Amino acid sequence: MEDNSSQNHNGQLDPSGGGNVSNKQNDDGSQRTQYSIPGILHFIQHEWAKFELERSQWEVERAELQARIAFLQGERKGQENVKSDLVRRIKMLEYALKQERAKFHKLKYGTELQQGDMKPPVFDDVVTDAKLEADAPFTSVSNISWRQGRQLLRQYLQEIGYADTILDVRSNRVRSLLGLNNNAECEENLNNSSPAVNGNESSNKRASETQEAAVMANFEFLSPDVDMDDDDDMSDDLDDQQDDETDDVKTAKRKNKCLMMNEGLADDVDAEAEEVLNELNLLTESEDAQNELRAPGGSPSMGFATSSRRPMGALGDDEGLDSSLGLGELAQLTVNNEAEAAYDQIASSKEAYRKMWNAKYTLRSHFDGVRALAFHPTEPVLITASEDHTLKLWNLQKTVPAKKSASLDVEPLYTFRSHTGPVLCLTMSGTGEQCYSGGLDGLIQCWNLPSPNIDPYDSFDPSVLTGSLVGHTDAVWGLSIHNQRMQLLSCGADGLVCLWSPQNKVPLLSTFSSPDDGQPTSVDFVHNETNQMVTAYNSSHCVIYDLETGKPVTRLETSQAENISQDKQINRVVTHPTLPLTVTAHEDRHIRFFDNVSGKMVHSMVAHLDAVTSLAIDPNGLYLLSGSHDCSIRLWNLDNKTCVQEITAHRKKFDESIYDVAFHPSKPYIASAGADALAKAAGKACCSGLFKVKLSRGIVK
Amino acid sequence: MKMADGVTMLRRNRPGTKAADFCRWPDQPFEEMESTLVVQQYIQQQICHDPMNVTQILTPPESQDEGVWKYEHLRQFCLELNGLAVRLQAECHPEACTQMTATEQWIFLCAAHKTPKECPAIDYTRHTLDGAACLLNSNKYFPSRVSIKDSSVAKLGSVCRRVYRIFSHAYFHHRAIFDEFENTTYLCRRFTSFVIKVGCADFTLNSSCFRPDRAIHGGSEMIPVKDNEDESCFLVTKHSPWRGKYKRIFSIGTAGVTTYNPTNMEITNRWPYSDFMGALPGPNANHGQVSLA
Repeated sequence: MEDNSSQNHNGQLDPSGGGNVSNKQNDDGSQRTQYSIPGILHFIQHEWAKFELERSQWEVERAELQARIAFLQGERKGQENVKSDLVRRIKMLEYALKQERAKFHKLKYGTELQQGDMKPPVFDDVVTDAKLEADAPFTSVSNISWRQGRQLLRQYLQEIGYADTILDVRSNRVRSLLGLNNNAECEENLNNSSPAVNGNESSNKRASETQEAAVMANFEFLSPDVDMDDDDDMSDDLDDQQDDETDDVKTAKRKNKCLMMNEGLADDVDAEAEEVLNELNLLTESEDAQNELRAPGGSPSMGFATSSRRPMGALGDDEGLDSSLGLGELAQLTVNNEAEAAYDQIASSKEAYRKMWNAKYTLRSHFDGVRALAFHPTEPVLITASEDHTLKLWNLQKTVPAKKSASLDVEPLYTFRSHTGPVLCLTMSGTGEQCYSGGLDGLIQCWNLPSPNIDPYDSFDPSVLTGSLVGHTDAVWGLSIHNQRMQLLSCGADGLVCLWSPQNKVPLLSTFSSPDDGQPTSVDFVHNETNQMVTAYNSSHCVIYDLETGKPVTRLETSQAENISQDKQINRVVTHPTLPLTVTAHEDRHIRFFDNVSGKMVHSMVAHLDAVTSLAIDPNGLYLLSGSHDCSIRLWNLDNKTCVQEITAHRKKFDESIYDVAFHPSKPYIASAGADALAKAAGKACCSGLFKVKLSRGIVK
Repeated sequence: MKMADGVTMLRRNRPGTKAADFCRWPDQPFEEMESTLVVQQYIQQQICHDPMNVTQILTPPESQDEGVWKYEHLRQFCLELNGLAVRLQAECHPEACTQMTATEQWIFLCAAHKTPKECPAIDYTRHTLDGAACLLNSNKYFPSRVSIKDSSVAKLGSVCRRVYRIFSHAYFHHRAIFDEFENTTYLCRRFTSFVIKVGCADFTLNSSCFRPDRAIHGGSEMIPVKDNEDESCFLVTKHSPWRGKYKRIFSIGTAGVTTYNPTNMEITNRWPYSDFMGALPGPNANHGQVSLA
């Protein structure tokens, strides 16, 4: 029932809903005063079906509106580009005119004409695409610029999520296309797709036709001038054929076209554009059309998409667990995609799902297990803390060229030495200038971060260590920082939870202890409230305290049925950045969600095959990352608590494998810390939103 | 924290573990360990068990690959040497120890830079340890922790050599720190035995010109072998790979062999006969070259 309602066309639901209604009326008529179980069940089913129907209708509406927004935004961008282009042309013409006047005057009067400054107009570097457009008509496409342009295009495509494998496959396809008769092949595709297209997509088809025609034209001319003209024509065509459902398809096409045209590339255009068209068709259209589209001409592209998913799905070092699990979850994902049928941001974020996190960086330099890690708030920089008594600073942009592995090796920039025992926990301040580390020696050290661009073999600067906070008498296991108030929370094996304000003369503000609850294992500030913090204990209790009074505010219900004492331990607690939600990672393989206000458990799930050791919530509050001693990291969607990705990483030492996971606060990076002395970081192949491709062009010069 | 019931013993240091309980689990025999990091686990277990028992820590289990054994031990040494570096950071200031030296003559250049540079002692220590970390973890030379390429085994020797200088600098210039560190970790003694066992002793020990295992046993470096009477002395040229050739007085005595610096008659080295393993004619036997092992 659930699947049906979410997947099928709306129309199908009505008859069954209607049937239920009549049933219900009959039941009610016969049993007016009595309630029978079947009647109740029928009624509930009917209501539920009604709600599902409304929900799906709302979803569709919402998606339509979002698509409209996307389209309008795209149009606006286009208009701005046109405007700046025209302005540029005006400037150039003015300059040319001035020069002509000067020449004329000189010839006529034999003297220089005073005209004020005669500098050639300076173009803004911000709108680089227009600049490139201006350049294109004047310069011929040389080999080098072609190659550069190609490189740039590859980058853009990677940003929006096309991996190299897809590019290769597509370029092969293009070559085969070029090898055979161009027109025949393309028109074949076109003919295949056209009967499949229903009324909704007529404009699509026309768009695709014009696109194909334009592409064919490109093949023949292969010159930027014509490309630009085609682009203009295309835009006009597309503008004429406005249709809500196909909005983002066209904007995407137009954008891709703009991208590609501006680079003056013809080869990859048709294949890329076709692929984009097809893939976006898959996202936007209803399932019937989708199926039909998939079958004929779309099938090669679909095949490519699935094959691309497979390499995406197989991640990390060990692929055994992944190939079965990952692909299964991906298959589930495709079902979800169709169900939601959302367009712009969400569609792109689903493309992001499909593109996933790929294992990219391996941070090797520690001698023993890496216990904690923290990202810098803005730079692609992270710090790792290890059982070898050191912390190390890494810059993810400074990679070591490695020939063997696909992942990039990073070398550390700086080693922080001061602890005399394993360093167990780490946290970074909101400004990225300080970090705090706690260790087995009971000290919390405060460090000033050196610049991410220092020479690794620089001279020793004793001012990096700014001080230590002394207060715990045993190992410090948890640290958490509140950026606005510049306060630090720590919990230790001595049973104390301490609140510090490191800038003060007397840093220790207050101490909380709760001997009945056992040893505190993890602390966190409650992010959506001021003045509260949550502490998790090894007795499976979890309590929210008020920081000023020190009294417990709420006790989270973590009733455990376990008898084994070790399994009661909570390894990590994190609070959601915006919602009143607390998430705990347990030794008994569960992850549990609690409401801060009522203390009730909202959800509990078996998350891993072994103890869950670490949690991280992404800065937008949408995803949860969990690491476990079963050597896997899982990414969960917080809305429906489903696992969207699993990455196998790290090897076991003794019985431990992954100690910590983290999200980058502003960039798309995640990282994990393992007992095998490695830290791994992964980046995302796709940013959310197609618009980011345009925006980032300013950055990628 | 171990589980009370004996069904499955999980060797984990969970959050909330007290410092005294860290890694406090029963030892696991080498054969039963199942992970890719068995050697490191085993070594750490042995050290935890008894840090003073150097021979036991350094004895490999049967059928253990020698390269991997050396490699993992070297990693462990670099790990523990961090403790000495932390202590030195407090005391070894660049103004006081402007160069990395052990005894008078030799200044060690830091090899972590593109061209060897004369770093102050604390920088030398840090750079050497960081450089060792990079090398021992580099994917190029040591891609795997279960098998070591033969070409990479040679790198271990150079790491040993540089690391040893840290010990010697600490010994000669920061004696109090060295003693305190050594009494808790017995690291220098273990390292020396390791180096001798492994076979890069000649490079390592000569260059740092001191024998800390002697030092620990209470004797000062400069006193002669007990009850030694020099019987016959020779003016010899000592060939050292590092210091080149230089003159020494080679004295064969009743209890051992001693060498003296001819300029100031100071004892530079002495070996009781018990330390000797053999004497062979050197490569240029005609010119009277002898190597002693």
